[in-house]
Amino acid sequence: MSDADSSRARALLDRAADRVFDLTVLERLALAAASTALALLIGLVVVAAAGYDPVQFLRFVFVGSFGDASATARTLKFTTILTLTGVAVAIAFRAGVFNIGVQGQFVVGGFTTVVTILWLAPMFPAGTVGGVLLMVFGTLAAVVAAGAYGALPGILKAYADANEIITTIMLNFVAVGVVGYLVEGAFRGEGNRAPNTERLPEYVSLPRIVYDNPDFSILGFAAALLVVALVAVVMARTTVGYDMVTSGFQQAAATFSGVDAERTIVTTMTLSGMVAGVAGAVFAIMIQGYYSDPAGVGTYGFDAIAVSLLAANNPLGVVPASLLFGGLDSAASYISINSDVPVQLIDGIVGLVVLFVAAPELFRMAAERIGLGGADR
Amino acid sequence: MSGATLRTDERSRLLVGTVLVVAALAVVSTTVFDLPVGAILTVGFVERALQAASPIALAAVGGLYAEKSGVFNIGLEGFMIFGAVAAATFTYLFGGDAPSQTTLWLGILGATFVCGLLSVAFAVLLVRYQANQIVAGLAVWFIGLGFGPFTAVLLWGNRNSPGLTSMSSVTVPGLSEIPILGRVLFDTSPLVWLAGALAVAAWVVLFRTKYGYWVQAAGENPEALDTAGIDVTRIRYAAVIFSGVMAGLGGAVLMAHAGSFTGTGDTMVNGRGWIAIVAYLFGNYNPIGAALAALLFGGLDMLQIQFQTAGIELPNRLVNLFPYVAVIVVLTVWGSTRMPSSVGEHYESEE
Repeated sequence: MSDADSSRARALLDRAADRVFDLTVLERLALAAASTALALLIGLVVVAAAGYDPVQFLRFVFVGSFGDASATARTLKFTTILTLTGVAVAIAFRAGVFNIGVQGQFVVGGFTTVVTILWLAPMFPAGTVGGVLLMVFGTLAAVVAAGAYGALPGILKAYADANEIITTIMLNFVAVGVVGYLVEGAFRGEGNRAPNTERLPEYVSLPRIVYDNPDFSILGFAAALLVVALVAVVMARTTVGYDMVTSGFQQAAATFSGVDAERTIVTTMTLSGMVAGVAGAVFAIMIQGYYSDPAGVGTYGFDAIAVSLLAANNPLGVVPASLLFGGLDSAASYISINSDVPVQLIDGIVGLVVLFVAAPELFRMAAERIGLGGADR
Repeated sequence: MSGATLRTDERSRLLVGTVLVVAALAVVSTTVFDLPVGAILTVGFVERALQAASPIALAAVGGLYAEKSGVFNIGLEGFMIFGAVAAATFTYLFGGDAPSQTTLWLGILGATFVCGLLSVAFAVLLVRYQANQIVAGLAVWFIGLGFGPFTAVLLWGNRNSPGLTSMSSVTVPGLSEIPILGRVLFDTSPLVWLAGALAVAAWVVLFRTKYGYWVQAAGENPEALDTAGIDVTRIRYAAVIFSGVMAGLGGAVLMAHAGSFTGTGDTMVNGRGWIAIVAYLFGNYNPIGAALAALLFGGLDMLQIQFQTAGIELPNRLVNLFPYVAVIVVLTVWGSTRMPSSVGEHYESEE
C-alpha cells in the first residue's frame, strides 16, 4: 500500500548504513576508543559532581573488570551473553532491519529452555549423558521459540508495513510481562517463596574448567565463539547471507537481482531471534540454573545494541566489543559491592558510548579542529 | 497526488473496519461473557484515563513536531525518564519530605528546563553533527534508564523516591456541578487541561500559522524553504528542542500525577514514550489526533482498576500489557503512515 514510503524508509536505512560502512577499520577503532573514553570521562565528572572520588572509581573499573582471575571470569561470563545477543542484533542491523527486540527474544528463549529441560528431565537418565542431551534439547527449544518470537515482528514489517523498531520494543514488554506472569503462577517451583521456576537438575550444567566460577564455564564462552563463527560464515558465504547483506546495503539493487525483499526481512528477523534464543539458553543453563522474573534478568538485549554498533554490525567485531561491555558490567558488580557509587551510572555510561558512536562526525570535526584529521582523505 | 487520495480511502476504510471490530468485540464480550460494561465505563474511569493520557499526549505532540520538521526524535522515552526524575528531584529539593503544590509546580518547571538543556545538546548532535537519528534516540533512552535511577539512588538511597506529593484536582465552582462532564472536565488535575490546551495550540500553530508551514516545509521540501530564504537548520533545531521539552514535561506530569518517582525495571515511564510515537502516527501527524490516540492508550492503561472494581478476574500483569498489544495491533492494521519526505535527511544549505 505504500511502496513510496517503504522505499523512502529503506533509503533512510541505506544512508545510515552507508555512514557506518564508510568508515575504515582504523577509523572504527578510533571511533570506538574515543566514544568510550569520552563516555567514561563524563561518567567520572558525574562521579566527582556527586561527591565521590573519581580516581578511586576509575581504579575500581579496572580492578573490577580484569584485576584478577575471578574478575576476569566474571567479565567473560557477561562477555559470553553479550557476544551472543550482540551477534543477534548485528545480523538484523547488517541486513538493514532494526531488531530492538533481542531482549524479549532472549527472555522467551531462556524461559523455554528451563521449561523444556524440567519437562524432559524425568525421561532421561540422570548423569552426564542425560545432562548433555537435556542441554541440547533445551537449547533447540529456545532457538525455535525465540526464532518464532523474532519472526513475528519480521512478518508484521514485511507484510503489514509495521515499523519494526516499535513492534520489537512492544514485544519486549509483552515477553517480560507474560513470562513474569507464568513464573509467578503456573511455572513457579513448588514451595518457592520467590517467583522462580524449579531449579534445573544438578547434572544439567556446564563443567567448571580453567576458571572456578559457579556462573561461568569456558565451554559457554566457546559455544558463543562457535555461534559467531557460524553466523560469520552464513553472512559471508551463503546465498541467504548474501541476500541479507545486499538488502542491507542496496535495497533497489537486491530487488533488481531477484531478492524477495519480504522474505529476506522475515528470514533475517528469524535468524536474529534464533541467536537471541541461544543467548537465553546459555544464560539459563550456565548462569541462573532456573528462571526468575525476567524484569530482573539484566538488560543484555539492550546492551547488545551498543555492542553491535561499536562493532559496526560485524559479527567478528562483536567479540572485542562485548569484551569491553562485559568488562564494564563486571566492574559494575564489583563497584556495587566495594563502593557506594550507585552502579546505575555504568548503564548511563553505556548509553553515552552508544550516543557518541552514533555521531562519528563529532569526532571527525573535533579531530580536524585539533589538526589530526585529513590523513585519510 | 493519486497516492495520497488512495491513502485517504484506505485510511477511512480501515478506520470504519476498526470501529466495527471494536463494536463487535464489545457486543460479543457483553453478551457471551456477560461483562458488566456499565461497571467498567464509569466517570472515574474517564477521569483516570484522561490523567493517564496527558503525559503520552504531551510527548506525542513534541515528537510530531520534530518529525514534521524532518528529524525523527526516537528519544522521547528517554526524555520522559529525565523529566520524571528531574521533577521528583526538584520537588524534593525545594520542598523536602512534605512538598506543597507550589513546589510541585516548581518541580515541573525545573524538569522542563533541564530537559530543554538536554534537548539542546541532543539537537546539536542530530542537526550539526548529523548523528544517526535512530541510534542516537535509542541512546537517549539508555542514558535515561541509567541516570534516572542513579539520581534517585544518590538522593534517596533507593531507585524509587519516597512519596512526595501528587497534583490535586482543581474544582471549577458551578461548572463542576454539571452531571458527568462536570466531574470529568471541571474537577480534575490542571495538568489534564494543560495537555489538552497544548495539543490544541500545537494544532493551531502547525496548520494555521506561517511558522507551522515552515516546520512542515522543513520536513517535506527543505530545498524550497531554503530558497525562500528561511533557515531550515534553525527550524529543525527549534522543533527538536520543542520535542525534548514536551517529552520532559510529559515525564514531569506523569510524576506529578503519581506523586513519586519509580526507577525500578524500565522506570515509571515504562514504554509511554514509545507509545507516544505510535500515538502521533495513529493520529496521522495531527496534534489533536495524537492526543485522542493518547486517550485511547491511557484508557487501556487504566482498564486494570476497572476490571478489579467490576470483579473481573484477570491477572494485573496481563492487563498491564493491553497498551503494548494495542500498539502492535494499531501499527499492523494501520501500517506505516506517510512520513514527511525528508525525515532523516541531513540538510546542508548551499551557500
